[in-house]
Amino acid sequence: MALEQYRDTMLGCTRCSYCKWIPLAQIKSWRFAKGCPSIEYYGFHTYSGGGRLTAALSILEGRTGYTDEARDLFYQCQQCGSCDVTCKLCLFNMDVAGTLREVRADLVEHGQELPQHLPAMASLRQQNNMLGAPSAERGQWSEGLGLKDLRTETAEVAFFAGCRCSYDEGLRNVARTAVSVLQHGGVDLGILSDAEVCCGSRAYSLGYPQEFDRLARINTEALTKAGVKTLVTPCADCYWAFKRLYPEKAGATFEVLHVVEFIDRLLQQGKLVFTKSVPMTVTYHDPCHLGRQGEPYVPWNGITTKAFGNITKHVPPKPRYNGALGVYEAPRRILNAIPGLKLIEMERIREYAWCCGAGAGVREAFPDFSSWTAAERITEATSTGAEALVTACPWCERNFIDAVAGDGQKMKVYDLVELVQHAI
Amino acid sequence: MTEKIAQLAAIVGRDHVIDDLATTDAYSRDQSFAPPKRPSLIVRPVNVDEVQAIVRWANQACATLIPVSSGPPHFHGDTVPTAAGAVVVDLSRMKRIIRVDRRNRIAIFEPGVTYDELQPELAKEGLRLSTPLLPRRSKSVLASLLEREPTLIPKYQWTLMEPLRCLEVVWGAGSRMWTGEAGEYSSTDLAEQERLHRAAVVGMGPANVDYYRLISAAQGTMGIVTWASVKCDVLPQLHKLFIVPADSLDRLIDCAYSLLRIRLGDETLIVNRAELASMLGKGPDAIKQLKAQLPPWALLIGIAGREFLPQERVEFQQQDIAEVAGRYGLKLMPAIPGAEGSDILQRLLTTSRGASWKLDYKGACQDIFFLTTLDRTPQFLTTMRAAADALAYDSSDIGVYLQPLHQGTSCHCEFSLPYAADDPAAAHQVQELFARASNDLLKAGAFFSRPYGMWADMMYRNDSQYTRLLKNVKGLFDPNNVLNPGKLCFKP
Amino acid sequence: MALSKEIYAALAAIVGTNNISQEPAVLHSYAWMNGNELATKDRSGFHPILPEAVLLPASTEEVQAIVKACNRYQIKCKALSTGWFEPAQALQKNVILLDLRRMNRILEIDEKNMLAVVEPYVIGAQLQAEVMKLGLNCHIIGAGGGCSPLASATAVIGNGADSIFMGYSAEVLLGMEWVMPDGEILRTGSLATENGWFCSEGPGPSLRGIARGKVGSLGSLGVFTKCALKLAHWPGPRKFPVEGTVPAYNSPLPEHIRTYTLAFPSWKDYADAIYKIYDAEICYIAHRQFSMLGENLWPAFCTMYIDPTKSLDDLEDIVNDPEVRRLTDEVRHYAFQIILAGMTPRDYAYQEKVLDKILADTGGHRVAAMSEPKMEKFVALYLLKLPIKNLNHVYGNGKTNYFRPDGTPDFAVERADQMIAVLKKQEETGLLPKTGGDALMSTITGIGGGGDFHFEQFVQYQRTDVASINAAAECLRAAGRVGLQTQPGRLPELEGLTGQEYLAALAKVPQAVRYNWQWKIKRMLDPNGAADSTAYTTLEPTTDSGS
Repeated sequence: MALEQYRDTMLGCTRCSYCKWIPLAQIKSWRFAKGCPSIEYYGFHTYSGGGRLTAALSILEGRTGYTDEARDLFYQCQQCGSCDVTCKLCLFNMDVAGTLREVRADLVEHGQELPQHLPAMASLRQQNNMLGAPSAERGQWSEGLGLKDLRTETAEVAFFAGCRCSYDEGLRNVARTAVSVLQHGGVDLGILSDAEVCCGSRAYSLGYPQEFDRLARINTEALTKAGVKTLVTPCADCYWAFKRLYPEKAGATFEVLHVVEFIDRLLQQGKLVFTKSVPMTVTYHDPCHLGRQGEPYVPWNGITTKAFGNITKHVPPKPRYNGALGVYEAPRRILNAIPGLKLIEMERIREYAWCCGAGAGVREAFPDFSSWTAAERITEATSTGAEALVTACPWCERNFIDAVAGDGQKMKVYDLVELVQHAI
Repeated sequence: MTEKIAQLAAIVGRDHVIDDLATTDAYSRDQSFAPPKRPSLIVRPVNVDEVQAIVRWANQACATLIPVSSGPPHFHGDTVPTAAGAVVVDLSRMKRIIRVDRRNRIAIFEPGVTYDELQPELAKEGLRLSTPLLPRRSKSVLASLLEREPTLIPKYQWTLMEPLRCLEVVWGAGSRMWTGEAGEYSSTDLAEQERLHRAAVVGMGPANVDYYRLISAAQGTMGIVTWASVKCDVLPQLHKLFIVPADSLDRLIDCAYSLLRIRLGDETLIVNRAELASMLGKGPDAIKQLKAQLPPWALLIGIAGREFLPQERVEFQQQDIAEVAGRYGLKLMPAIPGAEGSDILQRLLTTSRGASWKLDYKGACQDIFFLTTLDRTPQFLTTMRAAADALAYDSSDIGVYLQPLHQGTSCHCEFSLPYAADDPAAAHQVQELFARASNDLLKAGAFFSRPYGMWADMMYRNDSQYTRLLKNVKGLFDPNNVLNPGKLCFKP
Repeated sequence: MALSKEIYAALAAIVGTNNISQEPAVLHSYAWMNGNELATKDRSGFHPILPEAVLLPASTEEVQAIVKACNRYQIKCKALSTGWFEPAQALQKNVILLDLRRMNRILEIDEKNMLAVVEPYVIGAQLQAEVMKLGLNCHIIGAGGGCSPLASATAVIGNGADSIFMGYSAEVLLGMEWVMPDGEILRTGSLATENGWFCSEGPGPSLRGIARGKVGSLGSLGVFTKCALKLAHWPGPRKFPVEGTVPAYNSPLPEHIRTYTLAFPSWKDYADAIYKIYDAEICYIAHRQFSMLGENLWPAFCTMYIDPTKSLDDLEDIVNDPEVRRLTDEVRHYAFQIILAGMTPRDYAYQEKVLDKILADTGGHRVAAMSEPKMEKFVALYLLKLPIKNLNHVYGNGKTNYFRPDGTPDFAVERADQMIAVLKKQEETGLLPKTGGDALMSTITGIGGGGDFHFEQFVQYQRTDVASINAAAECLRAAGRVGLQTQPGRLPELEGLTGQEYLAALAKVPQAVRYNWQWKIKRMLDPNGAADSTAYTTLEPTTDSGS
């Protein structure tokens, strides 16, 4: 059982509760001190990173069995990774995020699938997307953009729209604007169009690794065949899949960039210049999968040994995946470079940002929890005095837009590329 | 009675069982308006074994005991018996200063020790003990601390129990224990504890109960304390006192808060002219004259230079305090009309002249005191004055003493009401004023944390949970109600 | 005894069905605590006893209703907030747990009188962030900013790095609200007579003394639902600066706030310096912190930690760096950390001069390498916020400690070498991290103004390795044996004794009468046995017990 691989992490929980908060050093107020949406919403300790480790261990050791409530509690988590970051402040060899993912795979393996995810998984198997839409319509968002079709042509740079941008009519504009900006910067782009399949990120985080493998194989083969050297995407979820999972699990070798990284590069190279003023006060939301989880995969095939008698040591040193190498600066450089734009930071940013609420199947399965999480973030954004919340992930945007509408709040929500478009 | 005397004489020796009328009469009343009641005997033990034997005797004989450590005059009625036939346990013979430990700054002494006896011994070791405001000569140090009398240096008050630490106590039930760190494991021999570097520093405990808190402000109703350890200050090598005068109390409040917040200064207290005149003046005429000269209000700030760079400390603090005062349009003065800072300091560092400085002005005095926060004191002053005006008491005679406590978080507020001792009408007036003002102050939010006399009725009425639990605690430590019955909320 | 449907329904009616759980996975998550593995036969981190249910009350009224229900139905309850220690579990059968996380508000901050009123689930870091906006600070216990100041003050222990300036948790406790085990509510101090929160004593005898002593009741005597805490001045920036890449956060602070490591030639000089610091009234923070990571390792560890590209995997290389070796020797044994914080510029200058004199008198010095900017900024943030105290467990996720008895600095240093020898010997088995033997941590004082000192010898072990856990347990037993020799009258170690044997040993300890009183107090406060009081030691009095 693969869950067994994470026994050490489960045993390693010291019950410190750091997983419930942002790093204590970064707490600036009572209100925005919390890091874990799940325990804030559901209350019991079990709903924290540490609590789930212990609950998983109780299953692994046969002390408890699979019940509906136990299953649900593992799915009532966006897998935002906040707990992983704070745990690793002190405990170097924990893999909380990995354990939480693995326990879902274990649940699925034991027939404990979450009923609310079945439609999305069926859609994925049948139509290769999470949103129940026909795969034949996947490329429609790109009409009129003059993009190369990588089914038949080759290009060095592939634009990967992702399911959300492809099918969410309210967010197709994000993909179109991103392409437009990159083209303005002289980038020669291609897309897989209808041949693009879901990156598989959600399948992986919902506990369906084989489904991920299937999708990853399709995408990797198609992109490799098309001669792609660089993949760029506007979606943080896709970014995480391609950056962290594809190299290890699908042997992908192309460079992976988020659109904000590409735009940042173009700015530094002088290929993109901001000429128009965008007089607006904004605050920036770090998407979980671009920020703390947006770290590159670093292959490690070393050995585990001991130092000083009984301290675990890895040779060579193992990559930490603690959020240090996430994409934080690029979006901020871009925003600060836009004339007339003022960026005010929220209290919870970067590796300790609060989640948008959409991730890991929560939006699909527990909509109230998902929108509560988003509303929390909107409240935090509003507290800065900013008039707009800017981010770089369509899943975040969709959740924020719906939360603003639902709550009657006034906060505008933008994808970063939309502001860039206004500035060029 | 004869049997009683014989039984007690077997414990303390016949010479120390006193039943003459003059002595029992002296214990039957005090300066307060508590109804007089004559004790049957006074017994004077000299050590804890005798105290314990007395308490055990009282339990068997169904007698009541009133522990008294200080000499007269007493002011609060707590040493006046409520029950008939009470035996006063006069602890003034217990005068041992058991230890002065410079390194840990701990002194251990018995209840009969006064400030005038203790301070010189401490000074030999380079130590000094914070005192309340001008304690009388006969005041027992231990009793003062047990009753939570406020001391003058707020920054050293880590709790309102300071500087009291460990105790040896004989409970009303007759058993004995050491409280605080002294009651943790280790030996029950103080010298052995010292050898092991256990210095009776921590007053909390032992274990999961703060026994010294249960005995504090108990007016002798829980147990009889036979020694205490206290945390001393380092003796100043240089010590100055400055005054910040003002026309009104309001002007001093924020300045005082600023100083307390950053722990500038040592002694920190606010007095009005009537209070300061009484503190300084020798006799009624001098007091009257001073009242006319002194500014209406004065914030008194002591600055001490102790072991490390004393001169520098005094100098920089003086400059800093002057700057703080300046921010509020006030001045830090070494002297004011009628008084030099050095004279005031001298008064603060010594015990009261005569029986008590409070009696110097008119021969008698009643004090109303309670706890609050410094910012609310002007409001209480208004309440007090209103009560005085309503009863035609001259408010210019009211002495006001504000003592910031607990590093500035609370404040002891005291109103002194002098009156002519030999004037029954004046006494009656003050008695009425005392009652009326106490009620008015209570309604305005005064917290009578040391509930003597009528304040006990005010604090413990309505049979609150606090009262209920306090009675249960009394039932644990003094199940037969041997110790000072009728005080606080305990039945007579 | 499982909860009957009737009892469950009664409890659910109080808190709402979403706020009570009997789900086995939930119950197990509340029976997990670091340290359990040292006591369980199978070295499991799960306590052998599960709670019957876990409840999430939202208010004092709900807490009271629950406690009264426990009295009525003859079940027991135990409350916890952040719950980072063994007593925060059901320690006997038939216990329901009250997780107080919904009671998490800061109710009031009175800047002028320097106090804050909090509920149980406000953590130190939250309170500190809010009061620093006003130029104030709050006492943070040694276990760090992730713990509950209310729990520390009302029910646990309470020393911290800042105790020298701010005091012990029990010393900053003001008025409090307590749901007693019989379900009645006691309010103490000025709160008892509805006069506000500012005073914890009285009226008259101070009944907060029944609630806690040097140590609190550890969750054993009802539930503390609100309290006020005394604050202190913070002379630093109201927006506390934090920079750096995770995990190497650090804080550049103004020049009148300086962080030093002081090193001395011997234990005697070390103790002398501590006494002088007490007398001189300097220091905002005084803590022997990093020694917990071991004399051979701590300078290397700090060097590693402030470089975000490094990890524990690099520790061996860093230890062997010549500069780090020099530093390690310089601070071996006789060193601790302080922060000087000037209330005014002149005050700061004075404190530095006084420190110079103390160091001259005791042969000590400021350790230059620890004042390198990167290191100093890291240490400043660490000590002022104690935000990463789970480093207690860094080497192997397991940690215990011995040699806690509080006392004077002289008491502690006299026994330090013996205590170091115990760990050093055990480390030779190779089953524990080879720290060198001196992993003695301490707050330089636990109480305000100084005087109360202790050493806490850290024993870290590999949580995933039963042999390592066994070695740690053996280390505790060995320490207990040495402790009994060096600390006459010390409490017997629990390890290896049955409950009855332990009580019998306890009864022979001098002044065990304090546990007889606690037996009586427990019966007085909890006539129906509605509180899980396993952590509250009691001894039934006999005719010989002197109470």
